[in-house]
Amino acid sequence: MGAVCPLALLAAGTEATIADVRAGRGMRLRLAGMGLCPDARVRVQCADRGSLIVSVGDARYALSRGIAMKILVMEAA
Amino acid sequence: MTGIRIALAGNPNVGKTTLFNALTGSRQHVGNWPGVTVEKKTGRITRNGHTVEVIDLPGTYSLTACSADEVVARDYILDEKPDVVVQVVDATNLERNLYLTTQLAELKTPIVIALNMADMAEAQGDPIDREKLSEFLEIPVVRTVGTRGDGLDALLDAAIREAETSPHHEHTVGYGSEAETMIATLTDALSADRDLAGRYPLRWLAVRLLEGDENVLSRLRKGPASARVEEILSRIDTDEYEALMADKRYEAISAVLPQVRKANPREMSPSDMVDRVVTDRYLGIPIFLALMWGAFELTFTVATPFMTTIDGGVAWLAELVAGSIEPAWLASLLGDGIIGGVGSVLIFLPNIFLLFLILAVLEDSGYLARAAFIMDRPLYALGLPGKSFVPMLVGFGCNVPAIMATRSIEGEKDRLLTILVNPFMSCSARLPVYILFAGVFFPEQAGSVVFFLYVLGIAVAIASAKLFRSTILPGEASPFIMEMPPYRIPTATTALLHMWTRGSMYVRKAGTIILTGVLVVWILASFPFGVEYGGAGSFAGMIGHAIEPLVAPLGFDWKVAVALIFGFIAKEIVVGSLGTLYGTGEETLPSALLADPGLSAATALALMVFVLLYTPCVAALGVIRKETGSWKWTGFSVAYGLVVAWLLAFAVGHAAGLFMGGI
Amino acid sequence: MSDTAKLVFGAVLGALYLVIGLLQLLGAVVGPIPGLDTFYLTGNPFSGFVLLVVGTVFAVGARKLFAGSGEGAIFVSIGVLFSVAFGLVELLALLATGLDAYLIGEWAEWSAADAVNPLLYLAVLGAAGFLAWCRAFFRGPGTA
Repeated sequence: MGAVCPLALLAAGTEATIADVRAGRGMRLRLAGMGLCPDARVRVQCADRGSLIVSVGDARYALSRGIAMKILVMEAA
Repeated sequence: MTGIRIALAGNPNVGKTTLFNALTGSRQHVGNWPGVTVEKKTGRITRNGHTVEVIDLPGTYSLTACSADEVVARDYILDEKPDVVVQVVDATNLERNLYLTTQLAELKTPIVIALNMADMAEAQGDPIDREKLSEFLEIPVVRTVGTRGDGLDALLDAAIREAETSPHHEHTVGYGSEAETMIATLTDALSADRDLAGRYPLRWLAVRLLEGDENVLSRLRKGPASARVEEILSRIDTDEYEALMADKRYEAISAVLPQVRKANPREMSPSDMVDRVVTDRYLGIPIFLALMWGAFELTFTVATPFMTTIDGGVAWLAELVAGSIEPAWLASLLGDGIIGGVGSVLIFLPNIFLLFLILAVLEDSGYLARAAFIMDRPLYALGLPGKSFVPMLVGFGCNVPAIMATRSIEGEKDRLLTILVNPFMSCSARLPVYILFAGVFFPEQAGSVVFFLYVLGIAVAIASAKLFRSTILPGEASPFIMEMPPYRIPTATTALLHMWTRGSMYVRKAGTIILTGVLVVWILASFPFGVEYGGAGSFAGMIGHAIEPLVAPLGFDWKVAVALIFGFIAKEIVVGSLGTLYGTGEETLPSALLADPGLSAATALALMVFVLLYTPCVAALGVIRKETGSWKWTGFSVAYGLVVAWLLAFAVGHAAGLFMGGI
Repeated sequence: MSDTAKLVFGAVLGALYLVIGLLQLLGAVVGPIPGLDTFYLTGNPFSGFVLLVVGTVFAVGARKLFAGSGEGAIFVSIGVLFSVAFGLVELLALLATGLDAYLIGEWAEWSAADAVNPLLYLAVLGAAGFLAWCRAFFRGPGTA
């Protein structure tokens, strides 16, 4: 079990569980609808200085650094 | 004959639009780009004696009413009460798609699920157990493959059946004892408002209120229930409930999933592997640039034989008309005016359609989404959102569909910024001007000159974006969040359809605005009656002389001024009107230009820069007005374009004049 | 096909594309270089850039494979895809210019040999790789 850190800091190939989404209500709801909400398991597919492509279940999302910094996750063991 | 209304709902990228087209046979835009369907589209089918109206709702991930798309979709279901909602579900992405299902079920509307892209799920070795799914959800599930048209009849039948039978009982999510108690309390309070209770399902209202939905709250304001409801809500933290309920929904979905599918999501699919290469930190942009070069190279070279054919055809027709029609003025109108003018537009059709076709292929394959992600970083640094990338690309073909493509951009300021900056992407209509003048005055380096102009356009767009961001549209670009659909090989039909949707806007523009513009040019050049066609004594000439002082510092004479004014109508007309004003046909125009003492290489360069940058054409302005909804910004676009064009043309012209002599 | 085969293929094509790409760029900047006619350089800087990009993809793939990373295989496969894709672009361009020459009556003066360029002939090698490997590869992205 690792500490909580922003998704943006993870490297490609890492798996993590979302702990918190520090964003406005509208953004939070939108992300939830996409599957990016607390307790969701994500895997970082590609990462480049904070912008990344993550997989959630069967879906893939590209996130810019700005939003990836707001999603806090706990790295999987 | 009974009438039934079906609303098509679903996540973006699930093939909903393809399914809609397949069902209704109408022509729509299909793309992997989320958020493209903002307008409601309707179609009509007849089946088994029923008239079925199908409404294509915007693609949404959920119904929380936090975006315009969600509000449109939700309001339609709530207020218009369609007879049945068909949710198009992506079989390869079940978990996320079912989130929307849980919310639809709470709306207490009859639902049928179209399990779409079933072929892809099966090919991946991950077929979904349709019957089990239907059992769990208590909703009919029909297997469909939108791209092949499979399952459409079964879908329609199921929908009609659902619409006609009642009662309905879909499985809804249980939120745990604490939340359920709150829901019961709220439902009780809400039942005091008879009107509300009659119109909306109470449980749904309660759930939404617990999640802090402002939209729902406003619906009960001033009603008998509002006081008590607001009192209840003031005692709780809606943020907490919102997180809890999202959790519960996914929990319910996770309980269902293992029962209906065998495999777990693969860790790294082939698409992911491709992404590693394509979004690589160092290779990403070079790969993109290489592909763009390939696209433009294809467009220009492959279009050429088609353009030659059209050119030949138009010339032949013009000669035929000139030779056989009496009286002379009619021959002139038809030959020089209409055929010549419209011909100059038709010639560019292959160019534009090919570009749009290639863009469609790149988009449908899924690559363009990755490209938008790659370009987001540099674009963000310029203050532009990553999603402005596709509109900018389309702008190289024609600004009209480009500005319409900005609908996929979420933030209003971001959208406005993209729209204002888009006209500097040099559209195909300006190419004839470049080719003419570069060919005449810079015969050796014509290609480089044209390239320089394109780059200048992009540079001005970038500079303008930075300028606007620091002055009239402050703030940062919205964060980039975009679904990356799996790569797939685009089908010919969808790509061609996609190409046609954008290209047809150009054709429509040609058929209407340009035709009118060309007639106007002809009229102004032919009257007062008896005057030399396009000479100084015609109306066109008089207007030109009046404007001349304004453009004299740039080295333009009255003929150029008039051509520029006509270019305001449509940039394609510029060359044709120059031909008219110089009294030559297209063949001899180059030599006439060369012979004109008022025109030098430097002036030609200034002219090309001016054409590159000055106001968007009437058609583009029309779209700007429509998309921004404001005359103010449309006017700003005109004014800004003129000012920038004048200043830069002046600077470039004089700088060039210093090197090359004469202005 | 094994990873070793891909490594060798990637290294060879990577080297070819990179070297010829550099020569192409050099020719674009400096002018026609005597003695290099065998390479059919066209002096177009953009195709030089594209050659370099494709070469880099191959080279990176080969290097990763050499370092033991399986990821290199995918780079080589993508390199093959690009090689074939750009070869097709050049082929279509060649056919189009030929057709155009015919239409404007300059068929006699046109010669296909004039249109041969590195992106075109190197793609032949790429096509060999495509035929060997890409059937399995396409099963992936086509349906994933």
